[in-house]
Amino acid sequence: MGIPFLILCSQSPGIAEEPVSFSRDILPILSDRCFHCHGPDPSHRKADLRLDLEEETKRTSDGVNILAPGSLENSELWYRIITDEEDDLMPPPDSHRKPLSESERDLIRRWIEDGAPWGNHWAFEKPERPELPSDATHPVDAFIQQRLAEENLAPSPPAPDHIQRRRLSFALTGLPPATTMTSEESDWNAIVNQLLDSPHHAERLAMWWLDAARYSDTDGYQGDRERTNWPWRDWVIDAFSRNLPFDQFTIEQFAGDLLPDATPEQILATCFHRNHMTNGEGGRHPEESRIDYVIDRVNTTGTVWLGLTLGCSQCHDHKFDPISQEDYYSLFAFFNQIDETGAAGTKAKPYLAYQSPFAQPAVEETEKWYIQSQVLSKEAKARASEKFEPWLTRIRAQLPKGYEAWKALRPSAMQSAEGTEFAAEADGTIQTAGPFPRQDDYRISYNDLGDLSRVAGWKLEVFPHESHTHGQLSRGEKGEFILTNVKLLISKRGESQVREIEMRGAIADAQLDVKGRNYGKVGDTLDDDPRNGWTTKLEETPEARVAIFELLEPLDLHPDETLTFVLLHRSTLGDANIGRFRISATDQRGETVRSLKPAPLEELASLTGEIPGDLKNRLIEQFLLDDEEYQAIRDNAVQAQRQLNEFRKAAGKLNVQVLGKRKEPRETHILERGVWDAKGELVKASVPGAVLPLPNSENLDRLDLAKWLVSPENPLTARVVANHLWQIVFGEGLVRTPEDFGLQGEAPTHPELLDWLAVELVENDWDIRHILRLLVTSETFRQSSDTSPELRERDPENRLLARAPRFRLPSWMIRDNALAASGLLNPMVGGPPVKPWQPEGVWKEIFMGGKTYVPSVGPAQYRRTVYAYWRRSSAPTFLFDSAQRRVCEVSTNRTNTPLHALTLMNDTTMLEASRVLAKQAVDSESPMQDLAKRVLSRKLETDEANVVLREQKKALDYYRSHPQEAARFTTIGQQSAPDSKEAAEVASWMTVASLLLNLDEAMTHE
Amino acid sequence: MNDSFSPLSRRTFLNQSGLNLGALALGGLLSRESSAASALQKEISHFAPKAKRVIFLTQSGGPSQLELFDYKPGLKKWAGKELPDSIRQGQRLTTMTANQKQLILPGITQFQRHGESGATVSEWLPHTASIADELCFVKSMVTDQINHAPAMTKFLTGHQLPGRPSFGAWTSYGLGSSNRNLPDYLVLISKMKRPSDQPLYDHYWGSGFLPSQYQGVKLRNAKDPVLYLRDPEGLPRHLRRGMIDGIGELNRKRLDQSGDPEIETRIQQYEMAFRMQTSIPDLNDLSDEPESTFDLYGPDSRRPGSYAANCILARRLAERGVRFIQLFHPDWDHHSRLPSWCTARCRDTDQPSAALVRDLKLRGLLEDTLVIWGGEFGRGVAGQGKWDSPEAGRDHHPRCFTIWMAGGGVKPGTTFGATDEFSYNVAENPVHVQDLHATALHLLGMDHEKFSFRFQGLDYRLTGVEKSRIVQDILT
Repeated sequence: MGIPFLILCSQSPGIAEEPVSFSRDILPILSDRCFHCHGPDPSHRKADLRLDLEEETKRTSDGVNILAPGSLENSELWYRIITDEEDDLMPPPDSHRKPLSESERDLIRRWIEDGAPWGNHWAFEKPERPELPSDATHPVDAFIQQRLAEENLAPSPPAPDHIQRRRLSFALTGLPPATTMTSEESDWNAIVNQLLDSPHHAERLAMWWLDAARYSDTDGYQGDRERTNWPWRDWVIDAFSRNLPFDQFTIEQFAGDLLPDATPEQILATCFHRNHMTNGEGGRHPEESRIDYVIDRVNTTGTVWLGLTLGCSQCHDHKFDPISQEDYYSLFAFFNQIDETGAAGTKAKPYLAYQSPFAQPAVEETEKWYIQSQVLSKEAKARASEKFEPWLTRIRAQLPKGYEAWKALRPSAMQSAEGTEFAAEADGTIQTAGPFPRQDDYRISYNDLGDLSRVAGWKLEVFPHESHTHGQLSRGEKGEFILTNVKLLISKRGESQVREIEMRGAIADAQLDVKGRNYGKVGDTLDDDPRNGWTTKLEETPEARVAIFELLEPLDLHPDETLTFVLLHRSTLGDANIGRFRISATDQRGETVRSLKPAPLEELASLTGEIPGDLKNRLIEQFLLDDEEYQAIRDNAVQAQRQLNEFRKAAGKLNVQVLGKRKEPRETHILERGVWDAKGELVKASVPGAVLPLPNSENLDRLDLAKWLVSPENPLTARVVANHLWQIVFGEGLVRTPEDFGLQGEAPTHPELLDWLAVELVENDWDIRHILRLLVTSETFRQSSDTSPELRERDPENRLLARAPRFRLPSWMIRDNALAASGLLNPMVGGPPVKPWQPEGVWKEIFMGGKTYVPSVGPAQYRRTVYAYWRRSSAPTFLFDSAQRRVCEVSTNRTNTPLHALTLMNDTTMLEASRVLAKQAVDSESPMQDLAKRVLSRKLETDEANVVLREQKKALDYYRSHPQEAARFTTIGQQSAPDSKEAAEVASWMTVASLLLNLDEAMTHE
Repeated sequence: MNDSFSPLSRRTFLNQSGLNLGALALGGLLSRESSAASALQKEISHFAPKAKRVIFLTQSGGPSQLELFDYKPGLKKWAGKELPDSIRQGQRLTTMTANQKQLILPGITQFQRHGESGATVSEWLPHTASIADELCFVKSMVTDQINHAPAMTKFLTGHQLPGRPSFGAWTSYGLGSSNRNLPDYLVLISKMKRPSDQPLYDHYWGSGFLPSQYQGVKLRNAKDPVLYLRDPEGLPRHLRRGMIDGIGELNRKRLDQSGDPEIETRIQQYEMAFRMQTSIPDLNDLSDEPESTFDLYGPDSRRPGSYAANCILARRLAERGVRFIQLFHPDWDHHSRLPSWCTARCRDTDQPSAALVRDLKLRGLLEDTLVIWGGEFGRGVAGQGKWDSPEAGRDHHPRCFTIWMAGGGVKPGTTFGATDEFSYNVAENPVHVQDLHATALHLLGMDHEKFSFRFQGLDYRLTGVEKSRIVQDILT
């Protein structure tokens, strides 16, 4: 594969020919190897020497010239880096700093010989607009091509039209191009404008901003409580929709509340600085938490606006950048005046009571779905009920007189952990005897359950006996029992592993009504906590007690299976093991295992003649429990109801965390070593002078800070923002460490271009859209991303952009792409968070059952990922390498692992999209090319088509002969099932759709 | 042949994640898998490693050293008396007990000396006691965090705030892979019924700023042992195979056109995904284990998802060459009712933990497997609640706690470090959690001061910026 326009030169031009630049060539070396011990931080400074200041470096110390401009032999610094004396060599070999390379020494040599000119780090100098080369047609291309020419390289030819379209559409909206768009080349600017004006563009930028803002729908930390800050997310989308200038965007988020006549939306904007995690852990000192939040705001400001790793100065002066610890806490002082207490959960004031205009459409949408689900549910109930009468007639004929729902079981094995002995009686009752351990676990097994083919619940009867203390329920000191936990295990003959059966709930005829964690309630036997459990009040005349446990799902039994009930007596004081008991089981669901009253079938069995209406209703309810079709439809209706309630609540006034000024100002101290209560010197609010001093620096507030950030004089902000925008469009920034423009960050690949863009941004009133438009209308953007081995060798990281970058789309975009390509995407903008498909149990396993993730129903399922519920302790699982939203993140994190492959192959969203795509393909004239067009925006070539058709045929053969498998495969998700005649066909194309969605091409910005 | 779990082209990391090569040879990294891994290995290895893998038995919540290991018979005379200020030295308390008098509750268990080494282990851990001569108890562990999440984050990532790579991620990054069908770092969490007071956040096994394929992969006790592992219902294996073939063929064509090496990696990852769909269920299927295994690990080991069953899986993973195996057993946060609550967690873990050490030894795996048992901090000598009631518990305590280690170059049958008579302050040989990290890295053949990763312009290490030391005294 050759690239025709590429001119390769035989030798790479080194920097040897160019004059040495202090800021580009020397300062990074000094910073990386010297500043750790000879830099701005006095606490680690060695030999009282600093090399970050010119006068300090060029001074004489004890008659020795540290650095003598123009003279190598008189420069101690030069001797120290070339000497063979290990004790003198710098950096010292035991410092674990990388030794200086030959070329680095050479640079320093030439710099000293040239007179050691000094200068400032590039990023701390205000950017000036560089001259454009005279023949430039497009500023971006001018700079990129000038550099390429210097390197004897040429740009690549334009990419194929469909690739340009996809690239543009993903970059600006995060969605694939609409299949209906025209493909006239001359329309490029029109296409660009159309995309920039689309609400999807604002959503795409919001995803960038939400990661930077560590936005989440929960607190994080212990408990990870829910919060309702999503109206701020919609504020961001709205701000991008309005193309709010970035300076105003900044001011409102820092200090909207301090603006004269602030609107609710301007106050809402300040939620940016409340998106940090909050810690509600019991035992946590709220002030320690509050300090953490203030620190988070300072660090986030540093990363997002200044591109500085301010966090380093939290404990000590920055080792590399001119930011002192005092600077750090002076910035801290701005955020230290918030009227907050450090509390979390619902006590994290200040709040804005805000009613979002974006919630009502979501309510209306779910209302429609709810009404529809009610109708379906009613219809399904009617269908199921038709089967009821025949069932009733049959069951009534079969029911023996004196039918009992509960069958007492005869144990096949009885074991105790600590030595209690058992004797089983004919009716299944078990009497304990022998040793009397303080605590014990009983393991009672049953391998013959008679004619029960399933178990829906089990019953534990506890009996008094004369051998017990006072003839009561136990042989323990008081005669009382405390059952701390129960377990039900099932095992298959010949298998060594057992399965634990989950229970839904438990009831008892008597229990102690206790508060908190204590012994009393029978329901407390279902956790793994020995500090609570079931006990009863002893009666003067000993009385039997009974408890009923309902299984989560009825358990179907097979003849070679054994049930084992484990009764744990592990209470704190112990001495309360059950003395005499019996276990029974039933196959009846519903009322039978949820109440102590006679089961409906028992009443029916004892009845002659007409069935009273009340009993009939109870029988219908019980009958419907076993109708799977009806239950599924009903579950959906219940979920629709729940979702509707949730959205209605969201449409009311919500508490959104915002900034608000404290009446009593807090003093701000330097915190020694960054420790929250180690107060050092007092400081007042101020900005780091090395970046840009503020002349009038009395009584500064957040508004002053925001204005300082976006001041045209600020050397950092515009560069940092322009770099972010470049990264959005080109995958990597011009500065490849977008979070660090300091001395340890990477230098820009194209410094002049970065400065030009920064000045352009400021001079165009911080118009983000203007900059994005500039980037995507360049030839650099539109060139091909294909590459040759030579070019890869020459520029493996594509820093020169002799080809367009090629990179995998962010995982959220891959999901949105699948929804859009299949037509499932719900384009609604804003509103309360929704819950896309995730595997079962993803929240449960973190909270050990404390929280459950329930996917949204109806159109809410197909909203863009920007609206997906974000729980910090369990970020959406389908976003395999996204930002974590714990702290601010602005750099990209792209990896390539088998876990991604598994996600994209098996995630329900991807499969449901495949299914919808398959159905459309089947309905079209040319299924394969129809699919290819939707997924890849192009037709398949013959060799590709052969592969696809081969797999499709294989699948069709299989599904034709396995219609049930076809039916199972084509019912993933919530869409209605395809016609059974069509299922095999749809299933076969579904494998193709999934195959295409999993192609590298489908998930890549090419 | 690539034999890595995640043969992600290292170029991607270099490009996109700010990996500082430090002393690493760029050429080595850019070449393909095994050579890249060995180049990395060579550069960070400074010693012949004693351990090739780690099994970390994380006891979340803070087990009480006073009830389990740190025998203080002298405390009896202090029962119910106030903790002297000279001992407390202004130690901060959690807000749960800050307003309560610090009345001393002597350890409530009986202790005996065990084995030839004479280690003190309490009656609540009889199985652990029976292998005392295999273990190295460190009684002088110290941390600087008093609340769970920050302390566990510190214990597992070296820093109290979330965001740093975990110990396991550093290890899998440093050691590379030795199994082409399984991830290098696997996490197993005991299945418990009660909602946990201390959620187990995924940043405990996260990769922080290291590339994400070094993060721990959670083996779940669910239909999907690894998220998205199972193919959908109705899709047979041969069609999945065909789809992956098709993806491979079409991707290869794209690779030829575009020349992007990431595509080659992606093809490999789909193959690896396919293999994992078999290797993980095989791993989880204990039907090939003899009855004697279950007898060794105890009755709970028959119940999938239990700590005991996870201990069997840990041994199986060690056999398969997985680098870092981390178990979590929650609910050690015993603020009340030690006799019922703490004993319950002891019963869950005692026999299986001991069985695992025995089993590894039996199979010759112990010598190159470093086993670590411990939680994020210890518990205070003052009783929480009424000190003389069986309801009493203990609050968090960062100034001393006990862990044990076994195998992997650690001296067996030793007890290292000691606390004062109150088990409150370390009296000799303090081992900060960072020292533990430094020591473990040393055993794995890595110099903790040189093993770094550049992020945001700084070279980060697991052991952070404070000086950490390798605890030479406990090494063989």
